[in-house]
Amino acid sequence: MSRYRKIFNGILANIFLVVLLSTSFQSFAQDGQALFKANCASCHKVDKDFTGPALKGWSTRVPAGDWIYKWIANSASLKETDAYAKEISAKWNNVVMTAFGSQLKKEDIDAILKYVDDWAPPVAPVGAPVEKTDDSLLFGILTLVLALIAFILLQVNSNLRKLSDEKEGVLRTEPVPFYRNKSYLMVGILVLFSVGGFYTINGAIGMGRQQNYQPEQPIYYSHQVHAGTNQISCLYCHGGAQDSKQASIPSVNTCMNCHKAIDKYEGPDVLVRENGKAVDGTAEIQKLYSYAGWNTNTKSYNPDNNNDGIPDGARPIEWVKIHNLPDHVYFNHSQHVKVGKQACQTCHGNIQQMPEVYQFSDLSMGWCINCHRETKVDFYNKEAGSGNKYYSIYEKFHNDLKNHKMDSVTVENIGGTECQKCHY
Amino acid sequence: MKKITIIATLILTTAVVIIGCKDKRDPGKIYMPDMAYSRGYETYAQRDSSIFTADPNDAGHKIFYNNLAPAGTMKRGELFPYPLAFDSNNYKISGQIQNPIVGDLPGKELEEAGRLYNINCGICHGEKGAANGPLSAKIGAIANFTQPKYIDMADGTMFYSITYGLNNMGSYASQLSREQRWKVIKYIRTLQPKTIATASAAADSTTAK
Repeated sequence: MSRYRKIFNGILANIFLVVLLSTSFQSFAQDGQALFKANCASCHKVDKDFTGPALKGWSTRVPAGDWIYKWIANSASLKETDAYAKEISAKWNNVVMTAFGSQLKKEDIDAILKYVDDWAPPVAPVGAPVEKTDDSLLFGILTLVLALIAFILLQVNSNLRKLSDEKEGVLRTEPVPFYRNKSYLMVGILVLFSVGGFYTINGAIGMGRQQNYQPEQPIYYSHQVHAGTNQISCLYCHGGAQDSKQASIPSVNTCMNCHKAIDKYEGPDVLVRENGKAVDGTAEIQKLYSYAGWNTNTKSYNPDNNNDGIPDGARPIEWVKIHNLPDHVYFNHSQHVKVGKQACQTCHGNIQQMPEVYQFSDLSMGWCINCHRETKVDFYNKEAGSGNKYYSIYEKFHNDLKNHKMDSVTVENIGGTECQKCHY
Repeated sequence: MKKITIIATLILTTAVVIIGCKDKRDPGKIYMPDMAYSRGYETYAQRDSSIFTADPNDAGHKIFYNNLAPAGTMKRGELFPYPLAFDSNNYKISGQIQNPIVGDLPGKELEEAGRLYNINCGICHGEKGAANGPLSAKIGAIANFTQPKYIDMADGTMFYSITYGLNNMGSYASQLSREQRWKVIKYIRTLQPKTIATASAAADSTTAK
């Protein structure tokens, strides 16, 4: 037994050593990146100046020795004694760096610095650009050629018949030209009537509706960049949608929440206007600064010298309202967003994929009513206690649901198609 | 008779052409302007201000924009105004103002506060308050709520920062009501480790990993 124990102990010790060595080594290599992301990345980038300076090449800039460790441990106290610390702090507008003395040990700092030194820019993925071809021109030409051939064949046919008639001595009256031929005329009139009628009726219905309306806005604002790529919630800017009738267009203050810091557009989406003209995102952000009265050089708002309560030069952005309902219709956003729990996209389409927003739905009455007929409400279930308690007053529907006379309650059932709900 | 028919057809065709060729940059025409456009001020509706105001500064504007509420007025059900003005000294004393919401938020309200947090704050501060939201890499210098500095920070100081903004952060007074701001602070507290000791222990465990 004791013999085995010795071997067992030996193996255990070896395993322990190997595990210890391997984990500590591995964690050291990974840690630099993890520690950098956890502690530094919010203010520093490796290759670019951010809130703080770019870290790449730090060793050529800072004084030799343990200066860097002192600085990371507590930059504020180092600033009082060290000349270089004072200089670099002044260069970065005296923004105080968090003191990491209690959080980062010397090994951690070494790991981070090693990660910074070894860092290489990620290689951009190389992919062949997808070519989009438009075949409609080809099909159009083909159709024309075929029509021409058909016409020529028809002419040849009639000429041949004429010749054969003459040969056989059959006397025929001079044929009526096709533009006076009654059956041709009839077909023409019918086609004109139906096509013209279709467009006339559609035009008449569409008057007063603005489907696909896509006005040019004072600033090229891409919902694709903000709500799509950057994942900003719709309600961040249009918070009124959950609280009031109006979805509300955000004030300039809301834009400046992020654009105080983000003053350049760096992609990845390509900004293009509807007419195919490229848009300079950075220039559009500059437009915002002029509306907000923000000085990019001092990174602060202009002073309020004329005492009107807002920075000098600041003025509201005159966005163009796209979705307009006539005055004789009442529509409330909060009712649909908060109570009905409808996604914005149900009515506004895939806003997060629209560079320039257009009106997705026609906002017609038929469209409203159709949705009210199909949409089920979050009906209160007495037994399970789930659903919206407001609906507990609909006694009859509860009984019908229980007796399986109906399987769900739609908006129409609770009065969603009554005229005076929206017109009053 | 024949003439009238031809003229009528021509008029109809022109009308069709005009309506059919609608430019998408143009809102188009409507049947009854009296019923479509509100006589009263409608939020964001396009109106020519020169019709309504004698103030030459306002003439030419097409929108009655979101005006501030008249001075001294208060929304119904809203908390009393915040006593501190925007001032660097007021930031230092802001911690003395107590959170009017005493104790923990009940489940439903905490859920609502969390929803507001995720919409307005999570974009930078991250869902778990660890400063890793989708925009954090673009804005920078985001507060990590799980760090000791923010566990120590008084509710009142946080409220001051949310109300007036701080460094890279802007003011959220236009997006969150006073009550909502206090509630969001309560929610942030639930994201933080309970004490500084556990926070530094957690920090140690992340570095030791």
